[in-house]
Amino acid sequence: MKTTRTDQLLSPALLAKLERMELVSRKVFRGRMKGERKSKRKGQSVEFHDFRHYAPGDDLRLIDWNLYARLDQLFLKLFQEEEDLHFYAMIDASESMNFGNPTKLQVAKQLAAALGYVGLCRADRVSVQALGPPGRHAPVLRGRASLWKMLNYLDEIDSGHNVSLYDGVKDFSNRNSGTGVAVLISDLMDKNGYETALRMLIGRQMDVFVMHVLSPEEIDPPLRGDRRLIDIEDGDAAEVTINTYVLQKYQETVKSFIGSVKTFCAKRSIVYLPVRTETPVETIVTKYLRERGVVR
Amino acid sequence: MNLIPSFANPLAWGLLGLIPVGIVLLYFLKLKRESVEVPSTYLWSKTIEDLHVNSLLQRLRRNLLLLLQLLAVAVAIIALLRPGMQGETTGQGRTVFLLDTSASMQAIDDGETVNRFEKSKQLILAHIDSMSDTDAAMLITFSDRPETVQSFTTDRARLRNSLKRIEVTNHTTDILGALKAADGLANPRRSSDIADVNDIQVADARPADLLIYSDGGFQTVTEFSLGNLKPEFISMGSPIVNNLAITAFSTERNTEQPTEVQAFATISNFGSQDVATTATLSMNGEFMDAEAIEIEAGDQTGLSFTIETDEAASLSITLDHKDDLEIDNTAYTGLSPLRNVTVLVVTAGNTPLSVGLQTEKTTKICSPTFVTPSYLQTDEYALRASSGSDDLIIYDGCAPTVMPATNTFFIAALPPAPSSTLREIAPADASVEPVTEKESATTPTSPAIDGGNDIRGWKWSTEESSVNLVDIERMHPLMRYLELFSLLIFSGRGIEGPPGTVELVGADIGSVLSIAPRDGFQDLVLGFDIISWDEEGNPQTNTNWYAERSWPVFLFNVLRHLAGAANASGAPSYRPGETVRLRLENSVNAPQVSCNDGPPKTVTPSPSGVIEIVDTEIPGNYLIENNSQLTDRFAVNLFSSRESSIAAVKEIDIGYESVTSTTGGVDQRIEYWRWALITMLGLIAAEWWVYSRRVA
Repeated sequence: MKTTRTDQLLSPALLAKLERMELVSRKVFRGRMKGERKSKRKGQSVEFHDFRHYAPGDDLRLIDWNLYARLDQLFLKLFQEEEDLHFYAMIDASESMNFGNPTKLQVAKQLAAALGYVGLCRADRVSVQALGPPGRHAPVLRGRASLWKMLNYLDEIDSGHNVSLYDGVKDFSNRNSGTGVAVLISDLMDKNGYETALRMLIGRQMDVFVMHVLSPEEIDPPLRGDRRLIDIEDGDAAEVTINTYVLQKYQETVKSFIGSVKTFCAKRSIVYLPVRTETPVETIVTKYLRERGVVR
Repeated sequence: MNLIPSFANPLAWGLLGLIPVGIVLLYFLKLKRESVEVPSTYLWSKTIEDLHVNSLLQRLRRNLLLLLQLLAVAVAIIALLRPGMQGETTGQGRTVFLLDTSASMQAIDDGETVNRFEKSKQLILAHIDSMSDTDAAMLITFSDRPETVQSFTTDRARLRNSLKRIEVTNHTTDILGALKAADGLANPRRSSDIADVNDIQVADARPADLLIYSDGGFQTVTEFSLGNLKPEFISMGSPIVNNLAITAFSTERNTEQPTEVQAFATISNFGSQDVATTATLSMNGEFMDAEAIEIEAGDQTGLSFTIETDEAASLSITLDHKDDLEIDNTAYTGLSPLRNVTVLVVTAGNTPLSVGLQTEKTTKICSPTFVTPSYLQTDEYALRASSGSDDLIIYDGCAPTVMPATNTFFIAALPPAPSSTLREIAPADASVEPVTEKESATTPTSPAIDGGNDIRGWKWSTEESSVNLVDIERMHPLMRYLELFSLLIFSGRGIEGPPGTVELVGADIGSVLSIAPRDGFQDLVLGFDIISWDEEGNPQTNTNWYAERSWPVFLFNVLRHLAGAANASGAPSYRPGETVRLRLENSVNAPQVSCNDGPPKTVTPSPSGVIEIVDTEIPGNYLIENNSQLTDRFAVNLFSSRESSIAAVKEIDIGYESVTSTTGGVDQRIEYWRWALITMLGLIAAEWWVYSRRVA
């Protein structure tokens, strides 16, 4: 069932704010096309980079004639090349994301759309995709005009693709050979663990951001008494008598889990961003993400 | 039936012990868990893994619901065990409660709010409550009669209900019957002689505690042996009391002046202090007189009032003194009305007599029946005479062979001798034939002129001769208002009566009118004829009395005082609860009995005219009326010095044993099971509240 609508993902006011933002990459990547980002390459931009001695075969247009006049030596004036940036947003579309009000998937889509729009406005190559079954293709978008394509794709993302994080990220890596900024939006509730997936992204020299989406019901479940808990992903059942003590233990477990993720990310220069679904997307993007250096 | 099992039974303990185990098992085995979908059991599983390390203890320690349930069951089990403190245990396991329900138990002692009877009931109730499941008890009440209210039972509820039903009475006290009732199982009798060595007792003796709740106001019991009964006397009441009582109250008409009524009362002070108060006499509910009295403690005094009335009246006397016992402060009596009497007249023909008995005044109180002397030979007469259904029989010139069971008036004839070999008495006039021919032939004249065979009987003292009256006993009721000296009597004989004879009219030939008692009856004998018969059988006047004014007056006096139309004394008094037997006139078919202006009750008289009134519990004036006409009356009063003497005794004697009073306070068992039950209810409510909060 489609749970999102285009006009619900991003409000016009938010779009206006997003247009003034820019994705921040802590690393400098080589782009594929001319863009607005500094590249490792030297090229033709207005940004001065360095001088070097002339070597035969160099483009005579790059010789600094003023310097030749003063020093009587030929120097080439080098400029910073500006290229586009690869921005990947990976949305965990497993069944567990379809939980909470609003659902975690909805919040994930909003975040992805917001960040994607920021990238589109800055002429970055934006790829927003769900971690789904292998073979599912996600478009690579560029330019502000591609917003609707992106939103349409997000609309079609539905929960129920119960692949593990590892499998999803592996599929993503196989499809996208470039490097760039990778944002993983997930609840990280994978019984096989989230660590291998993140390691794979790090290995791909990606600038990785993890947005950990949790609903309030998960942090402080409103459950009491004798319950049979059914895992909506794999149908696993856990019989538990929920009382104050058990709840306290559960909350300790949640804290411990978040703490372990945070530690794992910090050790690997992964920016970890906890996101609660009850927080408005606008606040998350314009405040939290800016504070954590994801956008500026 | 006791539904709660005895906990002496180990099985009951086992069953009780299984309850908490069952609850714990049910708690862990219960399958109904509400399914809830969660995004992932990933974190829950981690949490549960931690808990599983000590899950059983965790559940027991942390689950408030289970703890509350177990606690509630524990408290319920404690309640079933009936916890208590200072419980009194009887040595015998069998108890006989003897509760005094006599009038003296109505006394409210100084400082008490309830009377002795209610206090006794409270003590017995406390004792019943302190009984264990195996204790049996029996409940007997006694006043002037015993009543086994509840036979031996271990059912405390039945004992309580039986105790609740008991009410105090106005009766006197007799404990012997109650002791005999209590004695039955404790001291079974032998089937034959106790000296017979081969004899065995008919049943095993069942020793029991005998708890007597009384103020001790009963006679010392001598002809009773306690045997296996272990007596305990709980003396109810205080030895220092305040009670003024009327112990006697009666009225009597002045025989000389019938309209003058004298009322006598005896007032006794059974209290510990001197008392000065007033006694108020009321007649038909209206104040008549009052008199101040001062009585020292333990003393008594008499009161007399004189009132004028010739009608029937209800009298009561009340002491204007508030004391511990109310019932003896008022006494009742009444003046009987003139009765309608039945008179049988046996005469061959006596016009003056018949006219004199049917005047306007006499017909109001008399219904005479005239028969001839031959009627004396009939069986109907024999039955009538022996049953005493007539108030007076007048034998005019004749006599029966056997004296009837009633008062008699003989005119010119003598009553037969009282010996068993009675002789027929011939009439004075031979022409009359009431006697047997044989006797008449052999004794044409008076056979008793020589005194006869029995000197104790009546006899003629002289031969017939003219009579001149000499003396008249004017003081006698029969002779009241009579002026007889103008009488002319042509022929008459002097009479002599048996010992006790009173001469009413004396003449020159001796007594001509005498009255003598006979076995509770009275015989009046007149020595001369009113009407005599000549040789041709024609009636002749023997006297001019019938023409005198005194003749009907004399007959009226006879009807009033000899036939019993006017009772000089007041109405009889009975004790409360006594069965009152009264003989009414034959014409009364459906008499109605009422007490103190209460609603009348109709009673049915027996064929002989006797009614039995059993509902005499309340002191007061009881009136028996027939068609709104007062027929008879009686009064019910306590009049018992023993009941009015309400000072509680400290020691009673039963058989050869003296029983000293105990404090009366049962060492009451303090019960906690009710509190335990309340706690259990509170725990269940708390458990429900917690449960509701969790599933909400």
